[in-house]
Amino acid sequence: MGNQRARFGIARATCALGLVATLLTGCGSDGDSGDGVTKLTFAASTFGDPGRGPLLTKWLDEFNQSQTKVQVSAAAVPYPTFGQTVLTQMGSGKGPDLVRFDMPEFEAASDAGLVAPLDKVIDAGKYDLLKQPDQFMVHDGVRHGVIFEASNYAMFYNADLIPTPPTTYEQFTSTAKSLTKGDVFGLAFRQTEAEEAGVWQDIFNYVYGFGGAWSDGKNLTINSPENLKGLQAFKDLYDANVIPRGADAATFRRMFAEGKVGMELNNGGYVTATRGQNAKLNFTVAPIPFPVRKQGAILAPIVINEASEGKDEAGTFIKWALEPQNQVKLQEILGASSVATTTQRSAESLKATPFLPVFDGLTETSLPQIVLGFEAKTPDIRKVVVQNVVAALQGKADLKSALDRAQQQATELVR
Amino acid sequence: MTVVEQTGVPKTTPPGRPRRRPSPLGSKWTPYLFLAPAALFILVFQAVPLVQEVYLSFTRTRLLNPTRSEWVGLDNFNRIFSDPEFHRTLLITVVYVITCVVVAIGAGLGVALLLNKKFRGRGVARALVTVPWAAPGIAVALIATWMLNAQYGIVNRFLDAVGLGVPGGAILDSSRYALPAVLATTIWQLFPFTSVVLLSALQSVPQDLNEAATVDGAGRWATFRAVTWQVIKPTVGLLALLMTIWSLRRFELIWLMTKGGPVGATETLVIDLYSQAFDSKELGSAAAIGMVGVVISLIVIIGSRLVARAVEKGDVR
Repeated sequence: MGNQRARFGIARATCALGLVATLLTGCGSDGDSGDGVTKLTFAASTFGDPGRGPLLTKWLDEFNQSQTKVQVSAAAVPYPTFGQTVLTQMGSGKGPDLVRFDMPEFEAASDAGLVAPLDKVIDAGKYDLLKQPDQFMVHDGVRHGVIFEASNYAMFYNADLIPTPPTTYEQFTSTAKSLTKGDVFGLAFRQTEAEEAGVWQDIFNYVYGFGGAWSDGKNLTINSPENLKGLQAFKDLYDANVIPRGADAATFRRMFAEGKVGMELNNGGYVTATRGQNAKLNFTVAPIPFPVRKQGAILAPIVINEASEGKDEAGTFIKWALEPQNQVKLQEILGASSVATTTQRSAESLKATPFLPVFDGLTETSLPQIVLGFEAKTPDIRKVVVQNVVAALQGKADLKSALDRAQQQATELVR
Repeated sequence: MTVVEQTGVPKTTPPGRPRRRPSPLGSKWTPYLFLAPAALFILVFQAVPLVQEVYLSFTRTRLLNPTRSEWVGLDNFNRIFSDPEFHRTLLITVVYVITCVVVAIGAGLGVALLLNKKFRGRGVARALVTVPWAAPGIAVALIATWMLNAQYGIVNRFLDAVGLGVPGGAILDSSRYALPAVLATTIWQLFPFTSVVLLSALQSVPQDLNEAATVDGAGRWATFRAVTWQVIKPTVGLLALLMTIWSLRRFELIWLMTKGGPVGATETLVIDLYSQAFDSKELGSAAAIGMVGVVISLIVIIGSRLVARAVEKGDVR
């Protein structure tokens, strides 16, 4: 009897110890290694890119090797859910210490006070920052981010299919039509609601390329005649069946790499990815041949999470990233994208990618894909606009009514 | 040693054995002890969030600043019910749920009746039919998306071959065909479960009753109605309730296939809820939509209980 009691006692004590140990393990933070090293996480969707992800991780390793007190680890969050995942974490006072945002999410986070001011972290005057993209990093005189990547939109074309690139919109459409035969399509762009952010990036080029804009800075101008003209061009190409309808970006990019798509409008970051899919593809780029030389740019700022407990250490990383030699290395990794500061392309880079100056030459006419004057509301406006444009593509409404409706709905949102 | 129970019947214990303490497993608290972990789980992970959701639905709360919540009373409910888009979402939800329940149970019953017959390879057929149910919803959605892919999908190739191809092959991109495609995928995943459950119900149908009905000259349909249906009716009722609740809650399959599009053609309540919470970042509106779902579920559960009672009493045949 006594033995039995003793056995029960031992079992109870073991269970209790196990429980305590489990709880302690679960509650323990992995942020501190205990040896005075601050461990930070850096979240970026590009860490998941098959082409650039591993190279960016190596770049981070170089930082880690240069430091004794700070270590940064990569957190890859897939692009389609990046914004909502990271913003949800940050909204609840958590999340990664460093974040590479796209502009709409950057503006939303910044407006909500989730991003730490950087004025005391870096001395911007010390660096030769690219003026055009950098101006969007500052809100009401407060710097909230530094450009991690600036990538202008240009026209990618398959040089085996198109020996001479189109230089006017008319040539662009006729080339797309003449190339479309069998399982080869002249053009590809995103047109499904499931890729809302991507559709927004694609239609941005059509709106700005035909002289339109989403706002005049104070009022929304979604249904302006210029926007209608640009989006009508987009719809005409959709209706002309020169694109693989229903194909998502992953599918049509693979088709482009296989030589089954003639042209697409994309940003400099896409160069490395295309080569990763087919190193032998004979492709090149030219400016988008729309009437107005204005196009979108992927501006991706790096920011420090306001909730981070290692803001100073995160600042150490940003300062390291801005050092000239590290900027050059970053630019080599990002391919045809620009970085925060003015850097020179190396002779090897220019030899391997002769069209790099085409991208660089577009910086002054490129705009971030946000609604100017309503930056923080861009994700909401984007949703309304994309839904209505897709409705027009689907034949649920004529384009003008769809834009009028988008104007009304978006105006109610920003009121 | 003698123990007298409450009934007054004396109970003897073998001599020489020490008296044992009554086992805790025999006490009246035992059932509660076993239920406690599940009850605690439900309390922590379901009841508490539900109460939070009720509170949230009366507030204006932004995802990016959840601590700056503002009490707005019934504003969220007024807003969603005055929105024609929400009415359409409700309608799509009803269509989705009813179609899933009716077709999944109908197809499941048909398959169960077939599998209940004796034929060669019946065991293999019974095992194979459960495969879609065994596959996770995410895998099913990805398989279906690939099969329906406009460029490479086998479904488009087949439809083109028989002259029924959708222009451009974009089934999931078409506001006309997206909902049927999502429904077909859902039912493909659901019907094995209904067929397995109904097969087990069919096996409890007394064979002699069927034979007696046949001897009395009843045809197949009359035998099914008078004998088989009467036995499996409670199972069908339970399945209908389960399917309804599951279909109301189904998210991952629709989200992965269409994200509720195109143009809201497949937007059910849970998709709308997710969009409000994570795209529009309006937690208050999302909670209000969630409450509508909770109320619908409660109505379905209470309604099914009332129908079941009426059936038991014989008021409803």
